Amino acid sequence: MSRWFSSSPASGPTPAEAPPAPLLADHGAALLRLAACEARMLEGQVNFLTPELLQADSLVREAAGTLEDALKTLDRSVQHQHLLAGEIQAAMQSTLEGDTDGASGSSFDAMSATIMGTLDGFVNHITEISESTAQLADQVNDIRERSFRMETMLEELSEIAGRTHLLSLNASIEAAHARQFGAGFAVVAGEVSKLADRSTALSNTIQEQVLGTRQALERTDAHVHAIASQDMNVAMASRGESEALVMSLRTSNWVVKDLVIQLEENARKVTEQVGHVVRSLQFEDLVHQTLMACLKELGNLMEQSQAWKALEVSLKAGEPLGPALAALEATLGQIEGARVQFRAVKSGSLAAGEVDLF
Amino acid sequence: MGRLILTVDDSSTMRQMITFTLKGAGFDVVEAGDGVEALEVAVGKKLDLIVTDVNMPRMDGITLVQRLRALPQFKFTPILVLTTESDASMKMKGKEAGATGWIVKPFSPEKLLDTVNKVI
Repeated sequence: MSRWFSSSPASGPTPAEAPPAPLLADHGAALLRLAACEARMLEGQVNFLTPELLQADSLVREAAGTLEDALKTLDRSVQHQHLLAGEIQAAMQSTLEGDTDGASGSSFDAMSATIMGTLDGFVNHITEISESTAQLADQVNDIRERSFRMETMLEELSEIAGRTHLLSLNASIEAAHARQFGAGFAVVAGEVSKLADRSTALSNTIQEQVLGTRQALERTDAHVHAIASQDMNVAMASRGESEALVMSLRTSNWVVKDLVIQLEENARKVTEQVGHVVRSLQFEDLVHQTLMACLKELGNLMEQSQAWKALEVSLKAGEPLGPALAALEATLGQIEGARVQFRAVKSGSLAAGEVDLF
Repeated sequence: MGRLILTVDDSSTMRQMITFTLKGAGFDVVEAGDGVEALEVAVGKKLDLIVTDVNMPRMDGITLVQRLRALPQFKFTPILVLTTESDASMKMKGKEAGATGWIVKPFSPEKLLDTVNKVI
């Protein structure tokens, strides 16, 4: 007969196969009670479920609002972290690596190599100076030895001058013995004596000069040795300190680089999690749509209840059963027509949905 | 100035998630709660993209797409439909109305941005 009253009991209201009049007379009152009972039950269920579903919707919305606020705060923190990591990197680049445009840029390792190269050059230069200083000391020694030899020669010269003077004195005595025959010889002897005196005087003067020169050489030698030893010590100490400093800077550089990498990795993970949160937060809309579909169906149930109540009223008023059942059937058909045709939310999980570009 | 995107959804949470994702990628975003408001917001604006839901009060997303396509200003503006609806017949309605693409909720920020960058 109809869709509603010919289907199985499990899929719709109790079927009514054009009941004969005696059956209706026997069971009319029972049917009336059943209709009233069905209507009350439906109303009770709808009245219970509707506020429950609305409350669930409200709770989900509130929870989503709280999560949204937390997400925004989290996002601001991540952005700030990104900013700090960027600033640290920029600071590191400007202080340790210089420009990174490729043309004038140099890595920290290159900078270290430059510093060490400069220091090596400095030490080599100091070494050369020390070697020159050592050669200078050798030359000072050579001059000192030569001055000693000069003194020896000057002493010999003084002795020669003294003997010459003595010789001229003897010659003068011999010239006096020779009386007038030795007069000319006496003059020569006198001149020789004068020359010997001048030689002695010159020898003394030279000896004084040589002594003064040797004393100056001794002082120079002392200074040269002091310079040579100090230069090397200072150079080696400076090199050691600089190497330690460069190593320390290199270590700091590695540590900071590692920290920045960790910071970025952490920020990346947080960003990934934020993505999951953004996807998961959409459950509020999905749940809302599901609940609204449920509420719409509850509205349909309420209309079904009203239809059954109308049947009850009709039968109580003594109206014929046939038209009353036909009216019920028409109302139920309309309700079925208005039923949600497909589920509002098909997705059974929060996995990202598909994308189609037309 | 960044590119301007209009996002239309009756769910405040969805609007916020879309805005959050798009702004994070450097886009400027304006919002509307349904099709009617979307038309009011869109007027006089140079929009680079419109992302709209389907099921909304007052005016649904499919009707909005049709109305926008009827306006010379938005004849060629990319329009993405972002909805819980994944039914093939609904997708066909969206395509016939003039939508550029169809994304089923929930969206992942990465996929949304990837799609936006493809159509914009």
